[in-house]
Amino acid sequence: MTRLKLKKTAIAGALGVACAVLLAGTATAGQFDGVTLRVGTWGGAWKGDQEAVIVPKFEALGGKIEFVTGSPQANLAKLIAGRGKAPFDIMEILDAQIGDFLKAKFLQPIDLSKIPNKADLEDWQYDTNKVGSWFTQETICYNQDKFRELGLARPTTYSDLANAKLKGRLSIPDITSGGGLANFGAFAYAGGGDEKNVQPGLKLINSLNALKFWSRGGEVVTQFQSGDVYAAVVHAGWCVRARKAGANVTTVHPVINDKYVGVHKHGWLGIMKSSKQIEAAHWYINQFIDEDFQFAFATRSGVVPVNKKAIARLAEDPVLKEMLQLAKADIDRQLRLDYTKADIGAWTDQWNRSVTKQ
Amino acid sequence: MQARWEYLLLPSFVFVVLLIVSSQYVFLKGSFYEDLGLGQIGDTFDWVNYNKFFSDTFYLSTLWITVKVSALATLFTMLLGFPVAYLIARMRSQWAMILLAGVVVSTFVTIVIKVFGLIIIFSADGLLNKFLMGIGIVDTPYTIIGNQTGVVVGLMHFTLGFGVLLLYSVIQTIPRSLEDAAQIHGASRWRMHLRVLLPLSLPGVTVGALMIFNMSMGAFTSAALLGGGRVFTLPVLIQRTMMMEIKYSMAGTLAAVLLIAVLLINLLSVFLLRRLRAARLVIA
Repeated sequence: MTRLKLKKTAIAGALGVACAVLLAGTATAGQFDGVTLRVGTWGGAWKGDQEAVIVPKFEALGGKIEFVTGSPQANLAKLIAGRGKAPFDIMEILDAQIGDFLKAKFLQPIDLSKIPNKADLEDWQYDTNKVGSWFTQETICYNQDKFRELGLARPTTYSDLANAKLKGRLSIPDITSGGGLANFGAFAYAGGGDEKNVQPGLKLINSLNALKFWSRGGEVVTQFQSGDVYAAVVHAGWCVRARKAGANVTTVHPVINDKYVGVHKHGWLGIMKSSKQIEAAHWYINQFIDEDFQFAFATRSGVVPVNKKAIARLAEDPVLKEMLQLAKADIDRQLRLDYTKADIGAWTDQWNRSVTKQ
Repeated sequence: MQARWEYLLLPSFVFVVLLIVSSQYVFLKGSFYEDLGLGQIGDTFDWVNYNKFFSDTFYLSTLWITVKVSALATLFTMLLGFPVAYLIARMRSQWAMILLAGVVVSTFVTIVIKVFGLIIIFSADGLLNKFLMGIGIVDTPYTIIGNQTGVVVGLMHFTLGFGVLLLYSVIQTIPRSLEDAAQIHGASRWRMHLRVLLPLSLPGVTVGALMIFNMSMGAFTSAALLGGGRVFTLPVLIQRTMMMEIKYSMAGTLAAVLLIAVLLINLLSVFLLRRLRAARLVIA
């Protein structure tokens, strides 16, 4: 090949590559032109993290994201009221709700080939209906200074909270709160019951003399700050936030029936059947379980990532390392309720009748 | 040609029918059908939800608590509000307008903020408990969270501003000269209040009290936040039945019972007021 030919080939090749890059770039930049994706999620910092990390990436691809804020219970109620026509394309779903979503056929199948980040999840954390997005570790969060003052040992079980010195100083989740069902189920197990028999759990709860039942985790942070409570049953993330707000609190993962240590509540993402933004919804789910977002999200909120690489990185944060169980063996020992065995309506009815002061 | 002023009622009528009556109708109708779960209801008309309500002590005690806390909140709101309203209504300085503006502004503050303010004041290390423990009245902090006292205080906090405004407008309609005349004829201030002001203001006070009572019966936020999940009023139970249990029919039944209870109590009050008028104990 002559030098001139080589030169021409090189120029043509360079031009070809440049055109290809330009075309590819143009295609990517416009991938979601004119697309508005609506996401049903919690408000506050929870939404804020998604706005800070995922939204700019989506906007760079030409799309727009709108958040419909509310708890998963509230969003499910909107969905039912709209007879399946959701005001959102994707929604955060709690493990206790999955059965209802499947029964009502509110979800559309997920094409897992479009979620490459699933490779960093455990196999059971995704299927064609849902993809795991985070999990919480429901704990006993207690004020170490107050326990020392009162001469109380570090609690290890829920029963340890039934101490006269803690009367009116304990806050536990209301059944309507995000952590309500998971913890109620855990109390049932701790009292000797299970998903089908929650009465032992109610008996145990009534023995605790709780000050109140919190409905939003933020209340617990305020109660620790004001000194109203010395201990609370709450997910580790709220304990982390209480610590960051100045209360000397730490977590205990309760021992339940000598079989489980800690309680696991799982969050999922699902695509609504009524959604027309299928591609964008898959893209969003993939971004949500991306290592960097999962790490950033978990560091601020205290939930545990589903992304294994992000879990490994959490150990870098001393507070999270102290308050969360991050080793796989420890996570596997946590109680994970089987809600297919539970009648949530009956749970709520029994709770209402037993726990309230009538 | 005579102007047909009644046509002005038409927009309000359409608004009420479309947005209030129709939505209430859906729930009231649903209350006569069985819940099938996930917001689905049966297709056979029956009284199953009403039977359940009136045969279950849990629901009956919830109704009783709702009426009790609302009545107590109304009573204390009236007792606290009347002197304030009287003072402002009879004030001759510019302070009257400033105080009245203060009352109006207080009603603008969202109830969530008001209730959280109460929670902070009544917290274990809050102002009130520090004071009470400091002067030795209580040994352990007193809390208003998770009990009926707290709900009553919360409802009062919600309604007091409205109560003062309602009573102010009632007292304004009573000529000051009547009070002066009573006192010129030798009545003491206390007797003047008892024999002149009270009978003259009673119809207005009754209407104001009913409005406060109705507001309290339907109040959700104060009861939910200060009740702390331990005190159930009907609005709290309706929210739980709707959102948590997703039983629309039962929630409709609870809403219907609440509505009927409020209507009956209002009608009873009007009836009693008429009897008092007939007995000339009230001047209308």
